[in-house]
Amino acid sequence: MQKDPNKGYIALLGWSLNAIEAAENFDRRYIVVAPDWAEDYCQKHDIPYVPWNFERLNDRSIEIAETLKEKGVDVAIPLYEETVEWAGAINSVLLDNPRIYGQSLLLRDKALMKRRAQLGGIRVGIFEEAHDKEDVVRFLKRVNQTLLKLDGDPNDPIHLKAFDKAGCLGHRVIRTPDEVDTIPDEEFPVLMESHLDGWEFAVEAWIHKGKIVFLNISEYVTLGYSVFVPASPELEKYREQITQQIEKLIKAFDIEFGLIHPEYFVTSDGEMYFGEVAYRPPGFKVFELLEKVYGFNAYQATMLVFDPKSTSEEVAAFFPKEVVDADGFAGCFGVYPRRRVVSRLEIPEETEDHPYFESHELTAPMEETVTKRTAFGTHWGLIYFKGDDAHTLRDLLKHQEELDFYV
Amino acid sequence: MTTDNSISPPSNEKLTGLLAKLDDAVRLLLQAPAFSKPGKLPRVLDTARRVLLQEGGAAAIEQRAQALEAAGVFAGSDWETPQYLVPSLTPHALKSADPNVVVIESLSELRLLAVSKGEYIHDQISAEHAHHYLTQTMAINLWLLFSTPSEAERETQGRLAMIPRHLFQHLAERIGYEHVIDQLIEEIWRILKQRPIQVDSIKQMIMQIALCQANPEIDLGSSGQGADRLVSSLFGPTQACREDPGLDVYRERLDHMDQASLQAEATGFARAMHDTGLVSPYHPVLLRHLLEENDNLVAETLGLSSTGRDCLMCYRELVHALIRGGVYPATSQALYGLSLMLERGILYQPPVAPAMWRQLGLVLSEWSEARLTLTYGDTASPRARLLEGVVCMLGMPLGVGQGNNPTCQSARALSMWAYNDPDYLLQMVAWAARDDEIIMHFEGQPISSMASLSGVATELPMDLDPVSLLVVPHLDRIYAEMGRRCVGREGDPHRWVNPEFHGWWSGRGFRINVDVATGNLFEVDDFLRHFYASYHPYYNGNQPLIHPQPAGIAFTDSAARFIGWHAITILRITLDPRDVMRVYFYNPNNDSGQDWGDEVKVSTAGSGERFGEASLPIEQFASRLYIFHYDPLERGDLSKVPDTELESVKGYLFRSWGASRIPPTDLQATQAPVK
Repeated sequence: MQKDPNKGYIALLGWSLNAIEAAENFDRRYIVVAPDWAEDYCQKHDIPYVPWNFERLNDRSIEIAETLKEKGVDVAIPLYEETVEWAGAINSVLLDNPRIYGQSLLLRDKALMKRRAQLGGIRVGIFEEAHDKEDVVRFLKRVNQTLLKLDGDPNDPIHLKAFDKAGCLGHRVIRTPDEVDTIPDEEFPVLMESHLDGWEFAVEAWIHKGKIVFLNISEYVTLGYSVFVPASPELEKYREQITQQIEKLIKAFDIEFGLIHPEYFVTSDGEMYFGEVAYRPPGFKVFELLEKVYGFNAYQATMLVFDPKSTSEEVAAFFPKEVVDADGFAGCFGVYPRRRVVSRLEIPEETEDHPYFESHELTAPMEETVTKRTAFGTHWGLIYFKGDDAHTLRDLLKHQEELDFYV
Repeated sequence: MTTDNSISPPSNEKLTGLLAKLDDAVRLLLQAPAFSKPGKLPRVLDTARRVLLQEGGAAAIEQRAQALEAAGVFAGSDWETPQYLVPSLTPHALKSADPNVVVIESLSELRLLAVSKGEYIHDQISAEHAHHYLTQTMAINLWLLFSTPSEAERETQGRLAMIPRHLFQHLAERIGYEHVIDQLIEEIWRILKQRPIQVDSIKQMIMQIALCQANPEIDLGSSGQGADRLVSSLFGPTQACREDPGLDVYRERLDHMDQASLQAEATGFARAMHDTGLVSPYHPVLLRHLLEENDNLVAETLGLSSTGRDCLMCYRELVHALIRGGVYPATSQALYGLSLMLERGILYQPPVAPAMWRQLGLVLSEWSEARLTLTYGDTASPRARLLEGVVCMLGMPLGVGQGNNPTCQSARALSMWAYNDPDYLLQMVAWAARDDEIIMHFEGQPISSMASLSGVATELPMDLDPVSLLVVPHLDRIYAEMGRRCVGREGDPHRWVNPEFHGWWSGRGFRINVDVATGNLFEVDDFLRHFYASYHPYYNGNQPLIHPQPAGIAFTDSAARFIGWHAITILRITLDPRDVMRVYFYNPNNDSGQDWGDEVKVSTAGSGERFGEASLPIEQFASRLYIFHYDPLERGDLSKVPDTELESVKGYLFRSWGASRIPPTDLQATQAPVK
């Protein structure tokens, strides 16, 4: 696509073919910042590229910011959790605004993030940091004491999450002190949270000049398994409340531009609890789902709101109207093998023959023995559905959990 | 107004929905920049798979063929260059358990259909070429038109097995059955002229044709005439079984026949058998009948010449025992093998007849019995099945095929022994079938097939003749072990392995024209000069080749591109009926008639070939040769080999597999000197 030199020049931090494809087809100049294993590929396909290994920030970190500045890059966009603080560091140089780096650190640490949200008047559950297994046992006991449980009553579970990992990686649910022993020592320190019974959902909000320009609600059918957009009418009912919550978040974290991806609970009494927020594209291919129903490319949307040269008019013209402009509902389901030993991929006929079924990205199994799942985590691939009715889609996604895709 | 019109059949609705999804996926693929196309392809293939499962799906894909190719469905794969596609590879792709392979093959056939119909003007392949390719493909896959999925297909492919069937129904409707049948008949004759040992699939194809002819719903037009000899040779070669009455009825008829009728039956069967190489199940019924009643017609029934007849007379008792033990309607090919074995006169070699007696009484190991039964079923006893295999291999040493396995070396060894050292072959069979172990020696060290862990092939082969079935796994492991013992030696291991593995007669002189380290060509002139001086009758003192010699060729495809290294046997070099100097050789591939590109077409009949031989003019053959053995003491005169002859060979070489292997120094040498 013809690039417009009057518009921003954007650096993409991390390797994502979908993001590169979106950038290639967008009217802004771009450059990919990725580890050096990407070099051959970029050369072969004429992808603008500068090598960088994203390890911990160190004394040399300024080099990449200066390299990009010399090239005339206007802003850097993080594509993965691991590149969020890099984007903060780089953008504080490119945009000459040191606060951006501090903000990115807040967004990288789940415990800091919760405290900041609390300070901003946002409701969060009970949480604490754990440095070893004893901390976990103590927290589990105390949470259940608070709930006035007697010895022998089934415990309410608690959730453990890594401080600085994306989404479900390292997420565990603990119900009894025995289960604490299954946590490997190297996972500590972790963040512990009380369990909230309620409806969990996520939001993708594009922010430009401190204002929400597009707000999507992604409805989880089962956390870690399935999600669809836009949300069902029952959840969309809360849109106004949710918008207010996001505005609080923007204020608390002082966000001027970019894409945020927070998670919330709605409890049965309609109260919103903040879970966490990420400053990067969501996992689980929500971007693809959005494109399927709204027709806009969410990576391009992100570049647009990050670009300091974008005008409010251009931004307003880019985004459709939430919910009303959606052409149906699109969802995806992450497949986990249910058997311990599998030999091949076999999409159930009922799934494949369903009119909502669109495509899948499952591949044949590499190994016959399935590693036992210890935490929420890596599914073996996604299957995509699209249809006109939110409830049919939701039930369909839920039903997939009972089917075998690997036999 | 009727309400019927508003209700469309459900499958149609489904197809429409799927096609919308397919068009979406194709659009995404088309729009994607080259680097992200691979990521968009799986969705296209998967959606196409679901379309192909629907009634009418193939037609819908045919309409979209051009759009699919334009979007890049074939980019980067073999299917990108349809002009080089080989019909004989399609059955393998269509039977694949990998849905993507089945789908992309199907998409390619439908694309060629669109091309052949003139709906799609393709810049790489003409409508005629596409039509030709499709008819061959259909002929080879005729089973898909007329059969439901077998148990094996169901097991590996599941629902996927329906895709090739839908595809071929559509192809047959668009192209017409008559084209398929004639092509198929021609193909069958071509393969039969090579006299393979394994003819089960050919018999199946002939049965398909017979069924096709008998089916009133299939209009064959004027085609299929050439099939009569094939069909009759299997189902009714003589007067008394013309209408395929069944074995019991035929057996009863024999009881009431006079001498003249029996004589007519015997010659009728013999003629059919020697015409086609196929043996009707009725034929053994007659032979066994005559053995009891009238054994002076046995020679007639076997269709023997005076040589074979002599041999039969000398070894009457042995031959009778072989017939009783191995020639049944279920093992009818044994009859042909027996006949050709007698014609070869190998029973006169002192150890062969006693070794055959051992074979007759051989007690098979449990493992051997189980393997034979698993592969061939239980219509014949494992011992009879193996006996059939033995006489067939001794009768048709060049009919050994490697099946779909990477074991060309082992197949070549079996063929060479059957041809040159039959009692050694019988020894191998006894060891393998009875003891489950073969021990060979490598430079004085014994190598046991049981102690060697792995061979070239990773799984036990199933698609082989009975002898190969039992012996090849042992040979394969020994061969691989010999290779392992050469690790660390400089140069190509075949130098040491070939003579030790195949037999003392493999020349200890060894030449290779590829530098093992770099893969580049190496001393090409010297290599070719030695080959000509050792093998070409004009330069080696007109000495015919004495023993079959193992050799290695660089196998090229129809576009003359390098495919891989392959083992063959050089059998003889002589002038053909047109006075062209030809190399006649054995290729363990199941079908030797191959197009190696650059006008190098391997001939299997019509240029003086004996059954099972392949042949090429010597300069074309030499151009694909990369390894040969020779006797350094019997070498001809190197200086007599003219440069012009070698230039011609090098032309073929540099236009094919050698093109990308020319070392830098050679390039300089071939450049004209700068003045």
